[in-house]
Amino acid sequence: MNGTTGNVVGRPATAPAETSLRVGERQTDGRALIRSSGNLAGRRVKLLHAVLLAVATAAAAAWLAGTRIESPADVAARTAPPPRSPILVPIEERVLSADVVTRGTVRFGLPQPVSLAPSPLKAAPGLVTTLPARNTQLNEGDIVVTASGRPVFVLQGQVPAYRDMVPGVSGADVSQLKQALTRMGFDPGSTDGPYDEQTSAAVTRWYKANAWEPFGPTREQLVAVRALERELSDAVKTKAAAAAAVATAGVTVEAARATAAHAVRAAVVENAARFSGQRRSSDPLQSGAALTIESERAKAQLAATSAEADLAAQIAEQALVALDPRQTETARNAASAKLEVARAARQKARLDGELAVHAAEREVSLSVDRAEVGRAAERSARLEGDKAVRSALDAQKLAALDLTMAIERADQAAADLAAAKRKLGVQVPIDEVVFIRTLPVRVEEVTAVIGGAATGSLLTVTDNQLAVDASLPLDAAPLVKAGMPVAIDEQALGIKATGIVETVATTPGTRGVDGFHIYLGIRVDSTPVRLEGFSVRLTIPIESTKGAVTAVPVSALSLATDGTSRLQVEKNGTLDYITVQPGLTANGYVEVSPLAGKLAPGQLVVVGYNNLAGSDAR
Amino acid sequence: MRTILSLAVVAMLLVTTSAGAQTTPGFGAEEFGLTQRQLVQSIEQVEELIAKCMREQGFQYIAADYNTVHAGMKADKAMPGLNEEEFIDKYGFGVATMYTGQPPQLTTGYSPARVGFGERNVQIFKGLSPADQVAYNRALLGENLDATFAIAVEIENFSRCGGCTRKAVEQVFKPDQLKPGYYNPQNAFINNDPRMKAALRRFAAEMKKVGFDYSHPDDVEPDIRARLAALTSGGTILVERMSPDQRNELTKLQDYERRVAAKAFKFQDEVLGPVEEQIQQQLFSRKVQ
Repeated sequence: MNGTTGNVVGRPATAPAETSLRVGERQTDGRALIRSSGNLAGRRVKLLHAVLLAVATAAAAAWLAGTRIESPADVAARTAPPPRSPILVPIEERVLSADVVTRGTVRFGLPQPVSLAPSPLKAAPGLVTTLPARNTQLNEGDIVVTASGRPVFVLQGQVPAYRDMVPGVSGADVSQLKQALTRMGFDPGSTDGPYDEQTSAAVTRWYKANAWEPFGPTREQLVAVRALERELSDAVKTKAAAAAAVATAGVTVEAARATAAHAVRAAVVENAARFSGQRRSSDPLQSGAALTIESERAKAQLAATSAEADLAAQIAEQALVALDPRQTETARNAASAKLEVARAARQKARLDGELAVHAAEREVSLSVDRAEVGRAAERSARLEGDKAVRSALDAQKLAALDLTMAIERADQAAADLAAAKRKLGVQVPIDEVVFIRTLPVRVEEVTAVIGGAATGSLLTVTDNQLAVDASLPLDAAPLVKAGMPVAIDEQALGIKATGIVETVATTPGTRGVDGFHIYLGIRVDSTPVRLEGFSVRLTIPIESTKGAVTAVPVSALSLATDGTSRLQVEKNGTLDYITVQPGLTANGYVEVSPLAGKLAPGQLVVVGYNNLAGSDAR
Repeated sequence: MRTILSLAVVAMLLVTTSAGAQTTPGFGAEEFGLTQRQLVQSIEQVEELIAKCMREQGFQYIAADYNTVHAGMKADKAMPGLNEEEFIDKYGFGVATMYTGQPPQLTTGYSPARVGFGERNVQIFKGLSPADQVAYNRALLGENLDATFAIAVEIENFSRCGGCTRKAVEQVFKPDQLKPGYYNPQNAFINNDPRMKAALRRFAAEMKKVGFDYSHPDDVEPDIRARLAALTSGGTILVERMSPDQRNELTKLQDYERRVAAKAFKFQDEVLGPVEEQIQQQLFSRKVQ
């Protein structure tokens, strides 16, 4: 189409020139010829205009048709697949390195808070009067802040300051203080012992070298010492009184024992005296009581027997009288009466005897009771004596206990006083020193404000070692090991540095990364560039060919039907397959070793086919 | 002389004929004159390339699929319960009026950019440290944080794209499609039509009457974006950290955006709409989609 149009354009371009040339030639032949030629030329121009008009009309029609009509051939050509042409790239010799690429934020290492605890030596925490600026470098002996006109020194030490360091105390904090004093040139003597006078002297020199007054005894400490002195005096007096009480208690015990023995002896004597007269009769063992009773019984028996005999005599006399008719009635009556009297006498004698026996028996019984009362009185006297002795002994024990306590109190008071007196030297309050593990450090963030209470966390410091906090996807984490070198860069900022892998967490989701990533810590090698706070790219080579190898783009590798890997290589204008052994794959390239044949750098391999054409190529 | 003129006329006619014969009305109806299939392929290619580029930068980026990007495109100037006109009345183009200074991934309200990233990428972004977030967006978007791929496709303007998005777009789209004044073939046809040119002159005159100096409705939103970028250093200043002067300027720009967007929408609808419809009918009546 274009060629045809070009021919059409070419013809009229040359025709007028030729015509003009001929007209020019004829002009030299004469005026008539010129006129004739002019007419001829005019007609030719008209003809040309007509032709041009026709061509223009045809072109317009063609254009209109071209926009509306599409021939089947055009449709077929448009829809037909374009011809395939191989895309060839050269084989390369290059070092392949498989990298893990991730991202991280640079920070200074070991961030740690600087905190102050209120010192018991001071009535209340001070107010912050000066604060360091961010990025201030702090070395040993520097003053990090001041609070209410007192300094807070930075010293190196693993153990944080947790108490006031005063004369007499010892421990890791005191050792750290002494070591720091030694490093700063203020000899405190041995670094192992307690805070002693030499330490106080070193602290004094240290403070004065920094134009500060050392922290001496406080008014409260002096008052406390005086109170302890009074307390010791009271305790000593109490101890003496207790000792006297113990001695008195001993005498009391002896007196109680003597009194008890005397009372017992008196009771025994009284008892013996009371019953000495009756002892024999009343003593059942000596049958005194039985004899008395038997005596009374014998007397009663005797009286009864006499009465019986008398009765029998009367009965006989009455029988004689009765049998003797000569006897008068009166005599008979008298005999009967006598008989009756004899009977009554016999009865009386029996009753008297029984009464006498009963009386004897009661007397014996009363004697026994009286003996029991006497013995009870004796026992009572003995018990009273024992009780009095025991009471005296208890009192003695209490007095001894009081004495022991008084002694202890006095000793404690003496020890307290001694300790309080020892603490009266120069001391280091807990809120005037901060121990930091490694120095120097830089101030990362200041959280305290001027005028605020100088207690709690005041600021955060870090060491000067740059580190990167990053994360790895779970699948990449096992490939990265501690100690691996890391290339650090940020193209947009022109940053380049190096570092090594310091930490690869063992579990996901630690140290601020989400549960789908593993924390990765990088230590940055020293660099003049200020990287802190920047987000940087971290490239960790995890595998390398350790030298240049034959490599092709991964897309050049294809799989044969037998499972082997192969390349399609151009050779003298033809494409041949070469079976290869693929090696390390990195950055879109794969290391290849031909199993048969040869591969040379620069040789072309097929990486694909360009089957897109025209605007559809995109 | 007449001969030369005649030859010139012939040449012009033939060139015109040749050009007409070469032109085929084969462009698609989607953005950038692509067919639906081409658009899907292009979007997915770009997203894959973005993911690759971001990986090279050390960032994790999940290539968003077409549906996600398309959702982001549809979310532009759209809000539940509001049609486009209501949205424009209320929020203008949603450029300065919706500005927070937050990265699009962290914006909680209206954010077509966030929708276009896809939720997984938003979550990845949220898991980064503040410094990494800045670097992530610089790697992904370059200087203009609002110029995300989805939005750029929607407004057919890749000129403000940067970072990996720009690199990926450059590999998939043609160079002229990346130019600031690019119009897709259909719109270029329409814009070049004398009737549309006349309509655009009328549009410019109407806009001028109400105090705005724009010759084309497509110039308005880029102008607002450029003004906002100048005010906010490329969208990096948080509103809450703006100085009082900056806040005043932002408020003024928001008012301006609402007013100019409403007028532009009105005149586009009244002046350009009928003409565009007429031209489209004539040009594409044959097209049966």
